[in-house]
Amino acid sequence: MTPALVRAAQRGDTMAMNDLLAELTPYLGRICGPIALDSGPDAVQEALIAIFRHLRDLREPEALHGWARAIAVREAVRIARRDGRSSPAELDGLPSPRDVERAVDIRDVLERLPPEHRAVLVLRDLEGVPEEAAARMLRVPSGTVKSRLHRARANFRRAWQG
Amino acid sequence: MSWPVADLDPVRRLRALAAAIPGAHVAERVIPAPFATVWAVAGDLEEEFGTFEPDMRRLTIDSARPDGRLVARARSRYGMRARFDVDLRPGWCWMQSRFLLVGLAATAVPEGTLVAQTGGVRVPGRAALVPWGVRAAGDRALARLAARVAGRSA
Repeated sequence: MTPALVRAAQRGDTMAMNDLLAELTPYLGRICGPIALDSGPDAVQEALIAIFRHLRDLREPEALHGWARAIAVREAVRIARRDGRSSPAELDGLPSPRDVERAVDIRDVLERLPPEHRAVLVLRDLEGVPEEAAARMLRVPSGTVKSRLHRARANFRRAWQG
Repeated sequence: MSWPVADLDPVRRLRALAAAIPGAHVAERVIPAPFATVWAVAGDLEEEFGTFEPDMRRLTIDSARPDGRLVARARSRYGMRARFDVDLRPGWCWMQSRFLLVGLAATAVPEGTLVAQTGGVRVPGRAALVPWGVRAAGDRALARLAARVAGRSA
């Protein structure tokens, strides 16, 4: 991504918007997928709509990915909540370690977490976002990020340990 | 260990892009034919595009890059000529000239192929369309596309 591409899209060049869409879509899919699960495509679509509608508000083109990520996380949590597929963190029937090794069960573990906890996992573990920044993005105190991450990781650990 | 990834099909991508363009309307229609059959017509810019897209009589590709980016010359039904930048990939066509914008997307669905179209006359210098008649024009374009596909399948 070049800043020139973002500026061209901000000026209303729809070919630049098309190129930006092609670049952002896979990235947003990686953010929204683990948070919104089955509603992931809806979340990516809504995130892209919000991103393009507010593209002119982005003052520093270099900050595109971080800015888009914040929008995507919020949209993914909203859509996951809307579709009501989240359940409390019940650990009954967790997959065995062998299932984990087969890499088919991370989804099972995610399904047992509320969307806000999945968002913390994505930001901290997948994206490496610092705690304070993750808290700002999710509009919660930094202590909340810490406790959600602790609980989410504990769930993973229990899943791995069987 | 792999994390779930959300995939966005071309029709959803078109909805997202069109939502950022004031005045744009997305027409959608399910054509009861396989994706490959539908896209063989929809993505054939030189032979087929002018048969279903409004205001487009003849389109000639001037240059093409391996990544699907093309430059094309088009002549409208009223004789006007325009140079288009085109991004053409399976299930996706986005093209822009100074005065016109056309977007076309297709994705396989259980009933056949979902196609979506947007476009119209651009507001000069902006990512916006003159909103008059875009809804009816989009619906007509997809009806003509469905008829062309049916003709080819028959």
